[in-house]
Amino acid sequence: MPVLKNRVAFEVMRGIKAFLNLEVGLTRGEAPGGGAGSETDNARSQKIGQFGRRLANRALAGPGTTASANGAQDRRVRPENAVWIFGSGRSGSTWLRSMMSDMDHHRVWEEPMVGQLFGSFHKHAQEGQLSSANFIMGEPTRKGWIRSIRNFVLDGAMYANPRLGPDDYLVIKEPNGSTGAPLLMEALPESRMILLVRDPRDVTASVLDGARKGSWLYERKDKGQWKENALADTNPEAIIRRRAHMYMSQVGRAKQAFEAHEGPKVLVRYEDLRADTLGTIKRIYSELGIPAEEKELVRVVEKHSWENIPEENKGEGKFYRKATPGGWREDLTPEQAGIVEKITAPLLEEFYPEREKAGETN
Amino acid sequence: MPIYRQNVILEVARGIRAFLNFEAGLTRGPVPEEGQQSQKLQQARRWLEDRNRQIAELEKKLAEDRSGAAAGDLKPENVVWMFGTARVGSTWLGSMMDEPTGHTMWHEPLVGALFGSFYYGRGAHRGGKHGILGGSDEKRSRAIRAFVLAAAHEKFPEITGDGYLVVKEPNGSNGAPLLAQALPESRMIFLVRDPRDVVSSNLSGKSEGGWSVKAYERGRRTGTPPPTDPKAIVKQGARKYLEFIGRSKEAYDAHQGPKVLVRYEELRADTLGTMKHIYSTLGMSVDENEVTRAVEKHSWENIPEDKKGHGKFYRKATPGGWQEDLTPDQIEVVEKITGPLLDEFYPGQRLDRTGV
Repeated sequence: MPVLKNRVAFEVMRGIKAFLNLEVGLTRGEAPGGGAGSETDNARSQKIGQFGRRLANRALAGPGTTASANGAQDRRVRPENAVWIFGSGRSGSTWLRSMMSDMDHHRVWEEPMVGQLFGSFHKHAQEGQLSSANFIMGEPTRKGWIRSIRNFVLDGAMYANPRLGPDDYLVIKEPNGSTGAPLLMEALPESRMILLVRDPRDVTASVLDGARKGSWLYERKDKGQWKENALADTNPEAIIRRRAHMYMSQVGRAKQAFEAHEGPKVLVRYEDLRADTLGTIKRIYSELGIPAEEKELVRVVEKHSWENIPEENKGEGKFYRKATPGGWREDLTPEQAGIVEKITAPLLEEFYPEREKAGETN
Repeated sequence: MPIYRQNVILEVARGIRAFLNFEAGLTRGPVPEEGQQSQKLQQARRWLEDRNRQIAELEKKLAEDRSGAAAGDLKPENVVWMFGTARVGSTWLGSMMDEPTGHTMWHEPLVGALFGSFYYGRGAHRGGKHGILGGSDEKRSRAIRAFVLAAAHEKFPEITGDGYLVVKEPNGSNGAPLLAQALPESRMIFLVRDPRDVVSSNLSGKSEGGWSVKAYERGRRTGTPPPTDPKAIVKQGARKYLEFIGRSKEAYDAHQGPKVLVRYEELRADTLGTMKHIYSTLGMSVDENEVTRAVEKHSWENIPEDKKGHGKFYRKATPGGWQEDLTPDQIEVVEKITGPLLDEFYPGQRLDRTGV
């Protein structure tokens, strides 16, 4: 193929030469002069990088993973950027996640219930099943299924949050999946964890209020005979007892996960968050090792303050009820408070050692 | 010293490129030689070739991973699900299918129960895109597929090449539609039995001294004690049949991969013939002699007498035995609850009330 080459050089000043090289032509192969920095080359380097990452993910994921085959694992949340909120329902997790979601580079995965999927199934498994290698969550194959849970969560997070950036934090609000907290934390040991607790008597009082006919929880439930039974109105002690046991299970498991977790973690009491919201949220970010500018924290605290919730959205029977620690004294009878205290005693003692007992209020 | 460099490449016809390399500047040293340029170009080309080789190797590895065809991997199409419900003869069928060379049985992983109880039982399908099993079918299936295949590989790393994995999953059949959707190329056996015989067998196991009660007493089963009231057992058994056989049927009807419907009664009447029919319909390669041997080995007659009988795991294996075991009231309860399925799989076999 024809090539025209022209080369000119001349001295413009003493010791300084000007030069001009020109090469023009046609070729069927690689064009000369592209060099190692050409676009084609950079594209190749990128491609190698992508392949490398995909293979690394595949090694971690183990066999059978399909997401990586589509390159999807490249878009997964960084496990260390997952921030779990465990505890129990009605503990202020919606409020906390609202503040966190308004921070830069933060996104929220709202109650995926992945903890309930694996935690509840594992909790209810028979002893004979757990000791069997055939059982999908049997102890002999624990290492394998824990790895599968890891991949399941990371893939799920990616699909539920497709716009998640590579450096974003994903706040996973999972109070009602806290039964599975130990398994999730075992699967993602580098992730961050918030254990959010609240006085079980206030939690129960809040549920009881929401479950009454016409209240927000009553209206939302459509499973089984929930509405027909209307326990909050017909047999409140039954719903109190059930809820207290649920608190024990959820907060108990979350505490177990918290104690075993070696990644960044922080214990937060709802009462402290209410009393000093800014101070507590600063502590959360500091202990979790997530960089946050103070003015950003001030902004989100202000935006989501109780006072900024419209009055018509607050009050008895509503999702935003009273946000008053110790309100159970007005909402529960001494007998009802006594039921909760008896069932949740170990946790109440641990998290609220200074507590006032139901009998002492009267 | 300033240098201006421009490289332009244009494709002027298929496979033919026009190029222009232009370089101008000032230098205190020697003017760049064409030779130096060529040397750099040669280095760059070697670098490129090296990178191309790396890409080819990595692509090959990924392709192997993607197809699951790398040595030691189970092929998804060689997963054979066995759905139905408890007490339909799945242990017997599974034992026979475990025998041929290269065929392995996975005894009740309950992976279907894991996903099915949550998805259908807890309404997780209504959780929207945030729910772990919510959102699109594709997303959910991809996650479940990865979970199942990883677990199968973990448990059975020895399954290679064309090996089959028969997953005996009667008690996980409440998740059958999810599993079948996640592995559309897999094979499926839908094993049914007359619900009245299923409930009758249930009742026997849960009677005083029955195998199910003993398992609970030994601590192998925990939680709420099994009901002892026959009426409650019958109702519970019929409802489970409706749910599990119902879900199995839903999965079977929708499944596009190889599938076969087997009635326990036919398997009892002509075991070898039915086994051949299963393998042939599913398109599974198997040595006929091995099938014959498996059928003989696991025949009812070869189960020791002391392991068979009322209250034992191997009870009577007699289709229609419900007529002796259930009271008319119990029969009525079962027929009422399981009616649509009874009519579909055993048409015209409801008890004729006018004749009772």
